[in-house]
Amino acid sequence: MKRYDAIIVGGGHNGLACAAYLARAGRKVLVLERRERVGGAAMTEEVFPGFRFSVFSYVVSLLRPEIIRELELPRHGLHILPLESTLTPLPDGNYLAQWSDHDQNRRELARHSVRDAEAYDEFGLLLHRMARAIKPLLGVAPPDPGSLDPRELLDLWRLGRYFRGLPEKDLHALWKLLTMSAADYLDEWFEGEALKGTKSASGIIGTLLGPRSPGTAYVLLHHYMGELDGVFRAWGFARGGNGSVSAAIAAAAQAHGAEIRTQASVSKVLVNGSRATAVVLDGGDELRAPIIVSGADPRRTFLGLVGEERLPAEFASAIRRYRFRGSSAKVNLALAEPPRFTCMPEPGPHLRGAISISPSVDYLERAYDDAKYGEISRRPYMDIILPSMLDPTMAPPGKHVMSIFVQYAPYHLNGGWSDARREELGDTVVDTLTEYAPNLKGAILHRQVVTPADIERIVGLSEGNIFQGELTLQQMFFLRPAPAWARYRTPIHGLYQCGAGTHPGGGVMGAAGRNAAMEILGARA
Amino acid sequence: MSDIVVLGRTADGLVAAHLLARRGHRVTLIGAESLPDRMSGWVPSELAQDLGMSELAIARPEPWLRAPLGEGGVLELSSEMARSVASIRRISPRDAEAWPRFCERMARLARLLEEIYLAPPPGLIDLRFALRVRRLGRQAMEDLMRLLPMPAAELLDDWFESDALKGALGALAVRHLQQGPRSAGTAFRLLHYHVGAPPGVFRAPSTDLPRALHARPGITLREATAARIAVQAGEVTGVVLIDGQEIRAQSVLSTLDPRRTLEQLVEPGTLDPDLRHALRHIRSRGVVARFALALDEPPDWETLTLAPSLDYVERAYDDVKYGRASARPWLDLLANGKMVDVHMQYAPHGRAAEECIAQLVAPHLPAVWRCAPLPPPAEWPDGQPHHAELSLDQAMWMRPLPELARYRTPIGGLWLGGPAMHPGIPGICGYNCAREIARA
Repeated sequence: MKRYDAIIVGGGHNGLACAAYLARAGRKVLVLERRERVGGAAMTEEVFPGFRFSVFSYVVSLLRPEIIRELELPRHGLHILPLESTLTPLPDGNYLAQWSDHDQNRRELARHSVRDAEAYDEFGLLLHRMARAIKPLLGVAPPDPGSLDPRELLDLWRLGRYFRGLPEKDLHALWKLLTMSAADYLDEWFEGEALKGTKSASGIIGTLLGPRSPGTAYVLLHHYMGELDGVFRAWGFARGGNGSVSAAIAAAAQAHGAEIRTQASVSKVLVNGSRATAVVLDGGDELRAPIIVSGADPRRTFLGLVGEERLPAEFASAIRRYRFRGSSAKVNLALAEPPRFTCMPEPGPHLRGAISISPSVDYLERAYDDAKYGEISRRPYMDIILPSMLDPTMAPPGKHVMSIFVQYAPYHLNGGWSDARREELGDTVVDTLTEYAPNLKGAILHRQVVTPADIERIVGLSEGNIFQGELTLQQMFFLRPAPAWARYRTPIHGLYQCGAGTHPGGGVMGAAGRNAAMEILGARA
Repeated sequence: MSDIVVLGRTADGLVAAHLLARRGHRVTLIGAESLPDRMSGWVPSELAQDLGMSELAIARPEPWLRAPLGEGGVLELSSEMARSVASIRRISPRDAEAWPRFCERMARLARLLEEIYLAPPPGLIDLRFALRVRRLGRQAMEDLMRLLPMPAAELLDDWFESDALKGALGALAVRHLQQGPRSAGTAFRLLHYHVGAPPGVFRAPSTDLPRALHARPGITLREATAARIAVQAGEVTGVVLIDGQEIRAQSVLSTLDPRRTLEQLVEPGTLDPDLRHALRHIRSRGVVARFALALDEPPDWETLTLAPSLDYVERAYDDVKYGRASARPWLDLLANGKMVDVHMQYAPHGRAAEECIAQLVAPHLPAVWRCAPLPPPAEWPDGQPHHAELSLDQAMWMRPLPELARYRTPIGGLWLGGPAMHPGIPGICGYNCAREIARA
């Protein structure tokens, strides 16, 4: 029987990244993926003949540049096409467009509010500075503030020193971002409803919070994080869909000698005493390795694969109360023709960017109000891209695919999810969108609706949360997923975590996978 | 020994004036506010000692929380643990079992806040603060880190199942705040109202501190309104009254809201534009309408909280997000003889919302009563008693703005000591500020 140094459970992009780094360091690594192909939530499928979709996740913005560089992902087929604009159609037929061209953007903002156009650059500079301050934290394993271990204390001291080195003004600005609501934060800067709506939308993605909920301002930063790295601007689309991100990382892992086995579903992690010794596959096969790394979310890893009885009580209860509350859905459309928006009916560059249905903060907040009490938003927030406009191979010639990220569709829906409720969600999305692009309804050839319940069932993300657990302050950094266990280690010796349920969380970033590998290798990132 | 003017005949103003007078300064207290005899808020024993007060009357309704149950009966939380447990057991044995543990863990965190509240706020990266937090032990430290940013609803859901218990506690946590119990950072408020209270009590006591201080000599009281704070070369020189009279002083301690102090009383152009900009963004939204009910007979309860569930409170909040008064607000009633004070939340400042009162309180009162609105005191900006909403981004080192958090202002000799300052408990803000002046 073949011997491995490490077994990775789950071939999502984080598991693959972890495998690639371990293999690169000379370890013998095996990746076990339950489905017939790798990628987890970052995958491309030909859902309808000729139409290919990034079924779940849909854009790349945060994939760490060091991962792209160190794993040489472009050589393994990764090519990111920038999304150059964001169009926000408004109910009155007007629109707000944000362009990557600075002057064009300024003119457009000034059309709505001269004050906003003036404040925009300063706001951007501040957020850039904040993103730069936060960025080094993405690549470190969070130390445990309660530990007496000298290594942890050293890391804590380093962390303290790092923050002490920042200007006090920046620290306070950072605290504001961490604790304020996106709406309050933006109110300090801007007056335009469409601008505030669209900007605050980035603060609510993946959580069951509204733009007026404190804690949502922080996520605004993430939009600026990608831009910083100079690799690509803001949001991008991976040629061939998000599956090609996973495919590139998988290829890199294999090039370094990692073995990937698909249709290999792990049902159990065997624990002997307090040490993980092997994984058991669905068929009953046992595979042994001294190190087992789970890319599954914390609930599945600990309450599912390990079993509560094997865990310290305090840790088990921390994992039980770790919140998922998936709130987003995906609607994928195959179109006979591109949508013609009332505000911009002719095909143009706006179709190669993002289209955001977020006309005001109140609009988003109302959408949240529905979900807060367990209903689908009657008028949901939508973030839309047309991959076929950027990459014609995604659809047959002349036809198009549209990828719609929808929020809110609460996992805990009153009465539960059913086929009828899924179609109801699809209808709500199409009806709402048709108000802005009247030809849409008639152009639909096929429609795929993916609810949080579907995400859970198909990809295995608990409660369909796309970040493997809400990215709220009490579930971040050294609290993710549980206090004292944020360093990718677990109370079970030899068992590690590398999914988005660990620091720094989700968003096709790959950082958790890389950090976990570094931690396992005992190397400082 | 120096001349000090204290602005505002408020709890903070009185405490600060008396403390400074006892330290040998000549103090003039200027204010035309009519101060009620009693106030709500913790009075630490250090403060009472420093002011030489032993006769303070501290009162808290007992039980401190009464929440009528939909199916009849009432939930009563008392300062006696066993009585609370017995009352909770009638609605949920599980919650009754959890209550003492919950109270014990909250009390441990409140003890830490008590220490922090009696000094200027720690810095954001403060080694001594970090060590103090570590000394709490692992569990309390983890509790604190998790609890601070949490929604009250999430904390309560972690511990309890009963809607009545969670609703009433969740409502008290969002007192005077334009947030609902599902908003992040509200769990910390439950702790805030717990500070200084015995385990299991999450309501601030009421004291006769203002009356006790009013009765004392030692300071010069001027029933007048300040027109401006005189500043020369960046230093305070005194206060000019509306009638033109100038009272000279080396230091001025203002307990008025920071915007009023720095934007209206100080000559424009004195302050840095960045600070003026920041001042404008201090959030101080009033969300409470208050009423006085006059009854023919005293009711047979001291307090009544009508907030049947977290969802109920959250829905009440939904209305105010869009600028409306809650169609179904939550209410907190405090009886004082035949008079009942009603705290009704949420109602945007200046929006009367009497209609629903009758329907909500009727089942709990005798048939005949009269209702009169109690307008908020003039010194509450937009009706907000904390002057700056007490939320996580405006607490401790951020209160009310990082550059003002240590009670000093950029103007030499001008100090801030009102409720907008750390820790936001009336009396203690003025106390902390006065001690900083005495130390300077």
